[in-house]
Amino acid sequence: MEWWNAGPVALMINTLVALSSQLFGSFGLTIIILTIIIRACMYPLTAKQLRSSRAMQGLQPRVAELQKKYAKDKQKLAEEQMKLYKESGVSPAGCAVPMLIQFPIWIALYQSIIRVLAVTPEDLLGLSRLLWSWPVVYSVLPLNSQFLWFNLVSPNPGVAVLVGVTMWLSQKMVTPSVSDPQQKAQSQMMLWMMPLLFGFIAMSLPSGLALYWITSNIISMVMQYFVIGGWGSLARGGASGRELRGRIVQAEAATPEAAGADIVDSSSTPKEGVDEGEYGVKRQLRGGGHKASLKSIRRDSGKGKSHRS
Amino acid sequence: MQIRRNRKRWGKVWLLVALLIIAGVVLCGCYGSQPKGWSGATAADGRLFVGSLDGRLVGVNTSDGSPLWLDKEAGTLGTSESNVAIYGSPAVEGELVYLAGYNGKVYAFVSESGALRWVYPREGNLNPIAASVVVSQGKVYFGCSDGSIYALDAATGDKLWSFETGTKVWSTPTADGDTLYIGSFDKKLYALNTGDGSKRWEFEAGGAIVSPPLVYENAVYFGSFDRYFYAVDAASGSLRWRSEVMGGKWFWAKPVIYNDAIYASNLDGKVYILDAASGREVAGAVDLGNPASSAPVLVGDKVVLATEEGNVYALDTAGYQKGLPIIDVREESGDIPKSTSRRIYAPLSADNGVVYIKAQTASEGVLYAVDVARQETLWSRSLVISEGD
Repeated sequence: MEWWNAGPVALMINTLVALSSQLFGSFGLTIIILTIIIRACMYPLTAKQLRSSRAMQGLQPRVAELQKKYAKDKQKLAEEQMKLYKESGVSPAGCAVPMLIQFPIWIALYQSIIRVLAVTPEDLLGLSRLLWSWPVVYSVLPLNSQFLWFNLVSPNPGVAVLVGVTMWLSQKMVTPSVSDPQQKAQSQMMLWMMPLLFGFIAMSLPSGLALYWITSNIISMVMQYFVIGGWGSLARGGASGRELRGRIVQAEAATPEAAGADIVDSSSTPKEGVDEGEYGVKRQLRGGGHKASLKSIRRDSGKGKSHRS
Repeated sequence: MQIRRNRKRWGKVWLLVALLIIAGVVLCGCYGSQPKGWSGATAADGRLFVGSLDGRLVGVNTSDGSPLWLDKEAGTLGTSESNVAIYGSPAVEGELVYLAGYNGKVYAFVSESGALRWVYPREGNLNPIAASVVVSQGKVYFGCSDGSIYALDAATGDKLWSFETGTKVWSTPTADGDTLYIGSFDKKLYALNTGDGSKRWEFEAGGAIVSPPLVYENAVYFGSFDRYFYAVDAASGSLRWRSEVMGGKWFWAKPVIYNDAIYASNLDGKVYILDAASGREVAGAVDLGNPASSAPVLVGDKVVLATEEGNVYALDTAGYQKGLPIIDVREESGDIPKSTSRRIYAPLSADNGVVYIKAQTASEGVLYAVDVARQETLWSRSLVISEGD
């Protein structure tokens, strides 16, 4: 992994240190600014990932129905699923590929922050090997580790709690509401597991890393707000008015055949194993009327609006 | 059917949870390095003392490397459950050996037996101590990561005074008469009155100071993280010169002086030879080919230097030639097997023409005694002392 340290990690480290010299030597501020810059540069990829992810979520009721229908014929199920994705213009790789591209950048940033913090003498000595001959880089180190009320080098319980809280909020925004008890339990577990795990890890790691996670979570929330058009599952009573208005326009523009699914009245009883659509709008594969469903969405939209006001 | 499907679903959930936990553990593992320490050796009266990687003061005879004590509890820093990293070399004064641990405590051991005489602070801990202590005129001085410089009574361990700098102090102080010189991360070199800890003067360099200062003929010499080497007046703290040449990386180790020439090793793998009066280069920098974080030592007219990767050179002060390594610690030596991961970070020490080198792998320290004139390894031994020794 020599190339990894000498290339991406060294680039990130030297950028962090050089940026810090322009930000009053405050490493905390540097972490925040660089995280924002990097996440902003990766915005197109993040947006694509979020959109693909949302589109996949939207197809889940239909996927579930196919799974039920072709439970005994795996090959047919795979074919039908691919057909469904193709018809809907959704690529399963659309979620994974942007995330895979971003992953090395996150890792490089994460590792760079660890190295620049240089907690032990070994870390500081090791850091010198990765520094480039930029005039400002050598003299500015070691960086000032005090930021706000905490030290970036030491763990801080308050900061660790913030990691958990921001991660929970960020996850909650994109967690679909489902009716199936199993899926509900699964999504609930995921919603709590990640924040708890990262909060726990942050309890024993330098607060500088926790600051990176907090910043990253907040940026994720902002991006999600603009990409999905609202606070998602965070909004009380389901969808935001903006979200639902968008869906009305989409539903009106698309014929039921083209959309591949009818939208039914929210009062319809959901079938077993079929996911309830997000934001309280229930979907069903068969039956139901297009006009009725639009009425239902409009009704929900109004509710969403009143909740927000 | 439903039960099987549920099992399948829960199986996936648990797999995901397991992956998350593994990811968490990996992230924890990525977090920097654990402090290991790189204590050097100190020779006094036919005995050699060094801090080991398992958090102990080890004492051996300089003649053959045989241990001074075998008691497992003797010379132990902290508790036996956790190893304390030791970065500073021991300091010897009278019957006591002083050593600071990264656990934020300073210990005084009896040199004969390794028995603990006192520990400071008696309760609790200071912030990590990442340098050596210095003993002079009945006082023990050291810098601490809490940003303070402390003076203790060498006999009792009682605190006499402390002086607060702006940030961490990872430099070893140098005492000269009634003045203590020490560098800090706040880019300043401080001159303190050893009597009461009051500040005589301070000098601000362009970068942090980790390199212990060298005092010679009313001047204080030290290197900085701004990659320059400095000479300041010992009495007033005014700048005498700043080196014209800039190092490739940081000046980390304490320099040595011989015939008015300063030999300052740099983490760029070069040794800069500067005129003590003017700061100009006496000769071109000697390239060791690998970073030298270990402090060099003067043996006769040779400056002995070690590179991190394990080569030790005896630099000729007449022609400034490094020659071939006098020892490569990666090679097999006596009972010590060959190991390509063995490195040298600890300061070198010398006594009676013999240089003592502490090399280390991730888990084991090894001590070497090398006769510099004859370029011969006299003995080598592991610092893991067993009853068979």
